[in-house]
Amino acid sequence: MNAIIFSAIWGVLMMFTGAFVQSKTLPKYLAITGAALLFLLNGIELYNGTPIFNINGMNMLAITSMNLTFLEVIFAATLLFFMLSGRDVERVGEHVSEYFALIFFVLCGVSLSSTYNTLLLLFLGIEIMSIPLYVLTGADKRNLKSNEASLKYFLMGAFSTGILLMGIAFIYGGNTNASFYIDQIHLGVGKMPVMITVGVVLLIIALSFKVSAAPFHFWTPDVYDGAPTVFTSFMSTIVKAAGFFAFIRLFKTSFGPVQGQWQNLIVFITVATMLIGNVTAVFQQSVKRMLAYSSIAQAGFMLLALFALNQTADDGIILYSAAYSLATIGIFAILIKMNDYTIEGFNGLAKQQPLLGLVATICLLSLTGIPLTAGFTSKFFMLTAAVENGHKFWVVIVAVIFAAISAYYYFRVIQAIYFKEPSSAEPVIDAERVSGSFKILLAITAILILILGIYPEILIGWAHH
Amino acid sequence: MNNVLHIVWLIPILPLIGFLINGLFRNSLSKSVAGFVGSAVILASFALSIFAFLQVKSGNTHLAHYFNLINIDALRIGFDFKIDQLSSLFLLIITGVGFLIHVYSTSYMHEEPSKDFAKYFAYLNLFVFSMLLLVMGGNYIIMFIGWEGVGLCSYLLIGFWFKNNDYTNAAKKAFIMNRIGDLGFLLAVFWLISKIGTVSYDEVFSATSLAKLSTTDITGITLLFFVGATGKSAQIPLYTWLPDAMAGPTPVSALIHAATMVTAGIYMIARSSILYSMAPVTQCVVAIVGLSTAILAATIALKQNDIKKVLAYSTVSQLGYMFLGLGVGAYTGAVFHVMTHAFFKALLFLGAGSVIHAMGGEQDMRNMGGLKKHMRITHLTFLLGCIAIAGIPPFSGFFSKDEILAAAFEASPVFWVIGVAGAMMTAFYMFRLYGMTFLGKFRGTHEQEHHLHESPAAITFPLIVLAILAVFGGFVGIPEVFVHGGHKLAEFLAPVFAQTNAYVSSHHAHEALSHNTEYILMGTSVLLALVALSYAINKFSKYQKTETASTGLAKVLENKWYVDELYDAVIVKPLRSLSAFFNNVIEKKGIDGLVNGVGKAVNYGGRQLRWIQSGQVGAYVLLMVIGMLVLFIIQFFVKNI
Repeated sequence: MNAIIFSAIWGVLMMFTGAFVQSKTLPKYLAITGAALLFLLNGIELYNGTPIFNINGMNMLAITSMNLTFLEVIFAATLLFFMLSGRDVERVGEHVSEYFALIFFVLCGVSLSSTYNTLLLLFLGIEIMSIPLYVLTGADKRNLKSNEASLKYFLMGAFSTGILLMGIAFIYGGNTNASFYIDQIHLGVGKMPVMITVGVVLLIIALSFKVSAAPFHFWTPDVYDGAPTVFTSFMSTIVKAAGFFAFIRLFKTSFGPVQGQWQNLIVFITVATMLIGNVTAVFQQSVKRMLAYSSIAQAGFMLLALFALNQTADDGIILYSAAYSLATIGIFAILIKMNDYTIEGFNGLAKQQPLLGLVATICLLSLTGIPLTAGFTSKFFMLTAAVENGHKFWVVIVAVIFAAISAYYYFRVIQAIYFKEPSSAEPVIDAERVSGSFKILLAITAILILILGIYPEILIGWAHH
Repeated sequence: MNNVLHIVWLIPILPLIGFLINGLFRNSLSKSVAGFVGSAVILASFALSIFAFLQVKSGNTHLAHYFNLINIDALRIGFDFKIDQLSSLFLLIITGVGFLIHVYSTSYMHEEPSKDFAKYFAYLNLFVFSMLLLVMGGNYIIMFIGWEGVGLCSYLLIGFWFKNNDYTNAAKKAFIMNRIGDLGFLLAVFWLISKIGTVSYDEVFSATSLAKLSTTDITGITLLFFVGATGKSAQIPLYTWLPDAMAGPTPVSALIHAATMVTAGIYMIARSSILYSMAPVTQCVVAIVGLSTAILAATIALKQNDIKKVLAYSTVSQLGYMFLGLGVGAYTGAVFHVMTHAFFKALLFLGAGSVIHAMGGEQDMRNMGGLKKHMRITHLTFLLGCIAIAGIPPFSGFFSKDEILAAAFEASPVFWVIGVAGAMMTAFYMFRLYGMTFLGKFRGTHEQEHHLHESPAAITFPLIVLAILAVFGGFVGIPEVFVHGGHKLAEFLAPVFAQTNAYVSSHHAHEALSHNTEYILMGTSVLLALVALSYAINKFSKYQKTETASTGLAKVLENKWYVDELYDAVIVKPLRSLSAFFNNVIEKKGIDGLVNGVGKAVNYGGRQLRWIQSGQVGAYVLLMVIGMLVLFIIQFFVKNI
């Protein structure tokens, strides 16, 4: 498992850099190199199957091409994130290399939580992933909102961690195999034992919290809004996708055979998440906060994979993670540069910065799920998976209706970009903040969105390889 | 060039590259560069087509699979090219005639500003690309992509001078009529997919697939395909766009609306010949529609005074003959007529263009006359074209038309009688056109007369080449009665229609016409055509302008049987009032009300839900605990949501 070891080492390395090197720009380049190396090493492992460090002696990790493909998407997204928004990380505060180090620790957690084979490693992965995030949320030390968000996130995170542990304990207690391995949980014949059932409900609650599914999403808008915008971008994409992947893998491997016994809960959570995410997003004036709710709404769609739990859903979740991360990182990268985070702040963007306007539009179209963009294909995969599941067809219809509603708030921004005049004389973006390389990277992001929208097989092909 | 079949993809790609160069750099390219690029790519395609044709002729056909266009479940639609006898023949016609017309255009369009000039060539290249896709495709979907592409280019080129409102309307009419036909095509494809799950020619025509289709299926599919063909190839009831399409530049009329695009329907039916042979009902419909169109258009052509309109109706009429051929099972004859028609009709259109060019844009034949002495090359080549289309031996039109008429006689002598009547009219109106344009005295203004001149070489060169083809092109299909084994074209195409012919001969007793009968039929039709021809020359070489309005049948013919007015009253007007109703009542009151209502509800909900987000951690945790309780209740007490 190259990624786990390497991301941890690189994180430590970055911390030492902070202590010994004064340069403010070096950490960014180091971080980009690190992400690129992660991408490369993981890619090598995916390609030829042999890791550099073999740490899987106890078989506590499941290293499959599907899991590695997912990680590959994560590292690609991180690399893109560093390149697009690295300069904005530098602007957050003094301790640049620490921020990057924390992000590498998050990646270590992500690597664990994507490949765990036992409940213990799941717990470890999720915690390693979460704790650095609490710190990152409060990275803007002198900003009260940032501090408040950090504390809220930590308190509620701790609460959900307790529930997660309790759930694991119940499962272990009710498991006659007395094993933490997720494929060795004895579910009994017919109805699950009560101990296991309680454990399942608690796990669903805890993991729903991590992916900000309703009714456990309350932290999301406040934290996403309060955190420095660069880190919101990171949290709402890469970390969230990882949470979903862990969620789905656990329930598919351990409780897939008795899906009928817990599908009701998922239906409830899915529909509630879509409802709250979409309907509340409609009313937001700040694009940042709108994106926070939109991330809840998108989570509702990703939950369809958990509802469907079949091969198409597996493909779909990888595709969705990629599509959603690309579009969200892209739109956040532009948002960070804006002088005004409200929707009015986007007025006339297309006239002043045609390329940025176009890329923002492509990202928003992808989030809406308009054909030719990755968002469309991934939504299409999710809906197909849900239909193939064969139960509760009405959930699919509800999902489509909410996808239509989402067009309202995404298109409001597009409308502002293209059809409104700037509200003040000042430029919407200070031109010196938009470098040539930034534009090129944005264009690449948009092209990637289109490529995945037209030819999703290139990504899915890896997972089946 | 043994491996030329492996690079056949270059044949359509080259015009596409030409399109991109001319389209993207139209503002900066000079006219000579734009014209050179536009023509050169077609010439290169033509060269490759010749090599491909020679390969096919020596017996190598090729099915190239590049990638999967659609891959859902069991349905696999590949991006395939099929190069066989039929498609390689069409490749030659499209790129060969296409090249000549590109060359012609460099001179004909020279008055345009260089931006429009490059745009024109971009469209023309795009057209050739689409047309090549249409014939090269290895399945109905690729054919459909080309089918739509040529429709689009036809629209763009008819409306090339889009500042004239009439021209824009003509373009829209062509596009809409074609779309009606396309719907039939699409439905047929869907029907095929739902019944046998494939659209590739080889699989559809395989015995196992055909066995899955009932008689109803085959009849329905073939009829729907035929609806598509009536749109693209201007047959009753969708033919009225083609005469209006003459609004486009004349070379466009020659290339798209005479030589290539309008024959797409014939190509498609010839490609699907096995299906049609298995559906006698459809064949009967095709034959009757083709024959009726041939006659109807010929009668209209008798009284038109616009030189291009006459040619347009003549095209519709000749296409009718081709469908008659398809309907009576003479697939080779129909393809043969496509080929010869491409030669002589392109020639006639380009000749007409040369005349219009010399007359300074004048298209009314009543103001022409006596051009013979001013434009020697145009006159001579045009005369050859007229003889060819009139069906006088040994010109090309004679052989192909005779083959169709002979097959029609086998099917039913009535078909033959009507067909020959149409052929007589053809001879008549073509020589009426010839007489009014080239013979007699000049009837235009003095300014025009002063300006009369022979066109430059870029225009006369294509005329000469096409004239040679129009004269000698028929010799590839000499009927058996004259020379045993003289029908080289039938021999060449035999593998394409082998399956169909085997099917037909196993189901119907077939008796070839005796040689005597064939001589009599030929003799009669040629004699009648000669009579009509000499009468027309005699009458119209002395033509004088008269101001008297025509009456009776002549007036009906001048007004094209009032078909446009009929369509307007029966279809267009009711549709307009229906859409007004939908707009005013259903859209504004119903749908808008519903949408606004939903919007308001969502807005209200958003306002209310926002209050839950209070910012208090304690409240959040409380809400989460309530959420947990709800989940536990659902898990333990609710059976099913």
